[in-house]
Amino acid sequence: MASVTITNVWKYYGKTVAVKDLNIHCEDGEFVSVLGPSGCGKSSTLRMLAGLEHISAGDIHFGDMRVNELEPKDRDIAMVFENYALYPHKTVYENMANPLRLRGSSEDLIEKRIAFAAEMLEIEHLLQRKPMELSGGQKQRTAIGRAIVREPKLFLFDEPIAHLDAKLRARMRGELKLMQRRLGTTMIYVTHDQLEAMSMADRIAVMHNGVLQQLGTPQEIYNHPVNEWVAGFVGEPPMNFFDCELVEEGGRFVLVHPAFRQMVSEAQSALLRGALRGTSVRMGIRPDQISIGGKSTVESVAGTIKVTEPLGGDTLVNVDLKNAQLLVKTHPDFSGAMGETCHLTFDTGRWHFFASDNGIAYF
Amino acid sequence: MTQNKNATPEGVVRYVEGAKVLDYLPQVFNVKPSSSYYFWLMAPALIVLAAISIYPFFWLIWMSLHNVGSSAGDTFVGLKNFEKLLTDDKFWIGWGLLFKYTAFCMFFEIAIGVLLAVILNGHRFENILVTVFLMPMMMAPAIAGLVWYYLFNSTFGWYHWLMQSLGILGETSIIGSTDTAMAALIIVDIWQWTPLITLITLAGLKRVPRDQLEANMVDGASAFRNFVAITLPNIYPFLLIGIMLRFMDNFRFIDVILALTGGGPAESTKVLPVYLFDVSFVFFKLGRGAAIALTLLIVTIILCKLLVRVFEGPASKRTDMGS
Repeated sequence: MASVTITNVWKYYGKTVAVKDLNIHCEDGEFVSVLGPSGCGKSSTLRMLAGLEHISAGDIHFGDMRVNELEPKDRDIAMVFENYALYPHKTVYENMANPLRLRGSSEDLIEKRIAFAAEMLEIEHLLQRKPMELSGGQKQRTAIGRAIVREPKLFLFDEPIAHLDAKLRARMRGELKLMQRRLGTTMIYVTHDQLEAMSMADRIAVMHNGVLQQLGTPQEIYNHPVNEWVAGFVGEPPMNFFDCELVEEGGRFVLVHPAFRQMVSEAQSALLRGALRGTSVRMGIRPDQISIGGKSTVESVAGTIKVTEPLGGDTLVNVDLKNAQLLVKTHPDFSGAMGETCHLTFDTGRWHFFASDNGIAYF
Repeated sequence: MTQNKNATPEGVVRYVEGAKVLDYLPQVFNVKPSSSYYFWLMAPALIVLAAISIYPFFWLIWMSLHNVGSSAGDTFVGLKNFEKLLTDDKFWIGWGLLFKYTAFCMFFEIAIGVLLAVILNGHRFENILVTVFLMPMMMAPAIAGLVWYYLFNSTFGWYHWLMQSLGILGETSIIGSTDTAMAALIIVDIWQWTPLITLITLAGLKRVPRDQLEANMVDGASAFRNFVAITLPNIYPFLLIGIMLRFMDNFRFIDVILALTGGGPAESTKVLPVYLFDVSFVFFKLGRGAAIALTLLIVTIILCKLLVRVFEGPASKRTDMGS
């Protein structure tokens, strides 16, 4: 087991920058997920950790040991690949035995470790099969089994469940998290699926265009995004954004949008007062932080229902405001017909204000 | 061709609820052709193949059972031609030389060819280097034989001069001595045909799955073990094609040998196909030549089968491991 420290790491492919000045520290035994859209540099980061890519600049330490120049075989890591990368000629048993055989382990130990891993992953009955005869989920379990028999210092997972069907993916999320807790091994888990990152990781590193945007617990990332990009990327359905003006009235700010006027609380006004540049801001509010009803109140905003999407557990409502649209997540028995007028109430305690020039969050 | 039952008297035009509808394709194109239609399409190729390949093959068998070209006309002699081969020393020496020649050529061609391919694969100048390495292959074998004949020449041959300066060769030419003439032939074959193995191996190397190589590296394999465990099994089918081609060529091609040594000196390079050439077209004993040719063909087929089995062996063994 070891902590992982990535210090000022850069990765260039020719002149293209894949990773820019990355700094991540991951505690011993921690589950850190690297989250970002494709092309954000997350896989390059993982491959540098594995030793499969040269590090253009910066240092990577496992514990106190600098590993920049170490071959993958000398790093004591195990990696699970996106497409499993099983050896097609070998049985499940031999696939899992491979890392141990390469290190010259005794047959007794190999058998013991595989028995342990196979039981944990529930693939005991598959040990004599070939990868070709396995389903996607079974292949993925075999790939994980190959990683855990080694008892490595560090697990590197590269979108391991991206190709599974939705139901199996949901199940594997829970199982992977449980497995990591049981083994207590440090884990770096790369994914583009925020649900995986949010549900499994101790901490999430959100990356975009090769730059680390935010590193924090799932709650921090969700409740206190540092900028507009993170706020928009994390959360499903995505956050609503509005271009607004701030006007000061009686010691408090008032948020003005062509479609609505909303009072900003004392506390939030205080936060804005020192930091605010100019008068325009981007207001962001999540679909579940807006309540929708038929009756008008003092604070409510009137809109027209464009379309409703019942999802079973909740209902998504697309609402047309004056020159704006927004998405509301509400209870499943909401009934509103297309074209009907509705009244929206914002949970103003939980909205976010971002600078309209660089997208950095005020709160 | 069968009539499509949906076809209307108007041909491709149909009427649906009074409206005129034009089918996407005329229905006559949608009728599946019968198998005799395909046969007639292939017939010209089959006829040509029969004329140049199948007919001579049966003629060869016929000749091997007859005494051809004698003053008494062609007489049936049964298996006499084959019987005579059993006591023919030159026939057996020819086999020995052929195996020696083929074994040396294939060993060096595969070793050097695969090594070159591994070095070239992903090299910065791969495309240019491959083209350069392929040049010997583009030369007609007879021309290659002539070029090397001059290179090996003991008075003005550049290669001979080089070897002599290095103290490896004496005064006599490499093709002039019974000890070294076979080596000369092997050198030419390696020079000309190693690129083929390189080319085929290179194609195989491109198909080796990168993720498996990387997984094995992370599992703890060194570069060499990675090559043995992942790369080799993946290029086996490609190597097999290369080896089969080279093996069959070595059993057939005599143009370089005829150009360089003609089977000499003192018959030290008279491999079986050269002996066959002598018997059939120098001494015109066509019946006996046919018997030799038929033997050669049968042995080639058997060895090819064996090669395939040997090469499929490691792959199937791997699948049995751990059970």
